Amino acid sequence: MRIIVPIRQILDPRGFTVSPRHERIFINREEYIINPNDKNALEVALSLKDAGDAEVIVIAGGQARLDDALREAMAMGADAAYLLTDEVLAKTDAAGVAEALARGIEKIGDFDLIVVGQETLDTADALLGPWLAEYFGVAQVGGVRQASVSDGVLRVRRDWGAGYAEVEVALPALLTVAPGANKPRYPHGGRIMAAYREWQVNIWGSEDLGLSAADLILLTQRRGRTFPPERTLGERLTGSPQDVAAELVQQLRLRGLVG
Amino acid sequence: MDLDYLQMLMGEEEIVVEEEGEGYRNIWVVAERAGDELVPVTLEMLNQARQLASTLGAYVMAVLLGGGEALAQELIYYGADKVFLCDDPALEEYALEPYAKALGDLFTEKMPEIVLFGATDMGGELAPRLARRLGTIVLTNCTGLTLDAAQRTLVCTMPAYGGEYSEVVAFSPEVHPQMVTVRPGAFGRPYRDEYRSAEIEAVAVDLDGVQSRVKVLNVVAQVEREPVPLDRARIIVSAGRGMGDAEGFALVEKLAAALGGEVAGSRGAVDEGWIDEEKQVGMGGATVRPDLYIACGISGAIQHYFGIQDAKFVVAINRDEKAPILKVADVGIVADAKEVIPAILEALGA
Repeated sequence: MRIIVPIRQILDPRGFTVSPRHERIFINREEYIINPNDKNALEVALSLKDAGDAEVIVIAGGQARLDDALREAMAMGADAAYLLTDEVLAKTDAAGVAEALARGIEKIGDFDLIVVGQETLDTADALLGPWLAEYFGVAQVGGVRQASVSDGVLRVRRDWGAGYAEVEVALPALLTVAPGANKPRYPHGGRIMAAYREWQVNIWGSEDLGLSAADLILLTQRRGRTFPPERTLGERLTGSPQDVAAELVQQLRLRGLVG
Repeated sequence: MDLDYLQMLMGEEEIVVEEEGEGYRNIWVVAERAGDELVPVTLEMLNQARQLASTLGAYVMAVLLGGGEALAQELIYYGADKVFLCDDPALEEYALEPYAKALGDLFTEKMPEIVLFGATDMGGELAPRLARRLGTIVLTNCTGLTLDAAQRTLVCTMPAYGGEYSEVVAFSPEVHPQMVTVRPGAFGRPYRDEYRSAEIEAVAVDLDGVQSRVKVLNVVAQVEREPVPLDRARIIVSAGRGMGDAEGFALVEKLAAALGGEVAGSRGAVDEGWIDEEKQVGMGGATVRPDLYIACGISGAIQHYFGIQDAKFVVAINRDEKAPILKVADVGIVADAKEVIPAILEALGA
């Protein structure tokens, strides 16, 4: 069984502080880490490999620095890695990366399963999983916690409202894994050296994928950042219990603290 | 004065949508329902869509899959200028493939300028699939939507790292439809106006050969939520002696459950025997750093403050206007928590 896991990278939140007062992000240490939810996805794939005969391939698209993320994924247990990067791919957006990843996966060959982290930690970007499922026209299950395979049928436990559901889906399929679904394994000591010194990361550019700059034009424009209001302690709400409750709930909603 | 005359006075005539026009137009809201009720984010999207529509000079179209006429009518009351109702039995229960097919066909024909989905399980998996199908992009989990009038594009606010800051991203002008998923709770709910009247158009869907490939074996509707250790909890509702008695403490538990948070207490609450010592916050107990900390009937001596100084947002409810906690809270409410908490529960719809 061949399992593909796309890997994304985010700026390590431990390396910067946000100052609402200065409306700025102060970067103390610019380091990139594997998107934590993608590690959950990799863990689901590796646990399937532990349970049976499977090959886990990791793939990433965009900037050259993703090389590091792919080697870490190999150290965790992935069998092979593909990096899609060049000047054109380094400048594209989420849709461009998704398109490149789709072409890259196609070029690798047949697959049985794609396992994707549901969203990124930085901007909660949740485009990739369903996008790939649409590209390949395969069945898709979201909110995945656990998966197992027998006789070519995948059995999955997924979030379902306030509870969960057990579902079955025939391969090939795509899973998007819930953030925090599991505790990803640490890279294996022996594999770390090999991943950084011996093993290859295969590199393809946009031409290898049949993509040109015209295919990857930016569909979005960055307009900057906004910051939450600076903290002012001691604000008082007054009025009837109903009034203060309504005002409080409104404030919590604005801050995204209640759904 | 009879009722007919009153209705006439209010000038409520049916909204007539002019369908002519070239290219991509109008703002579409993909309604989501739970059984025969609309989920809150659907109403919130209608509210925001109305505001965008008045700036753009566009109509607000809603599309409802399953659910029937009565729910379609609700969408009109809450702000839709027209509802497209796909009332096929195959769409009564949500399933990815049939829903994607129905929406994909409709959008290909109607060419929406903007499409809003809820950032829910359903919207989260449908929107990117349709974006790819229609050759566009989707911006996910948005909490703010405004317009760049000059280039007629949506400008979206997307919270980063759980809301530490937000990225602001606009669609490029040539991108259509502009698709977003909207985070539940980001926008207010609109007024329900029973005098609004508009057309409901039944849409036939072609679901030939389309069926869900995912077989649901069994569903466990409710899982006992495992308590999150206090030092990792995102939301904490904490009780102090000011809650008065076990009954007052039960209100705090209710509020925590409604917010999906954890219950904790001050030294006072532990001494009263309402809560275990391991749930004590402050010096001698846990040091916490939640996104939201609600202190109910806690005076907030320095020993308690020590445990919550890293909380990102502190709400304090206390009868005593001189209570120290009110000075260090982001929002203070001088009132009896036993009166305010039931009102909060009501405002949350819990």
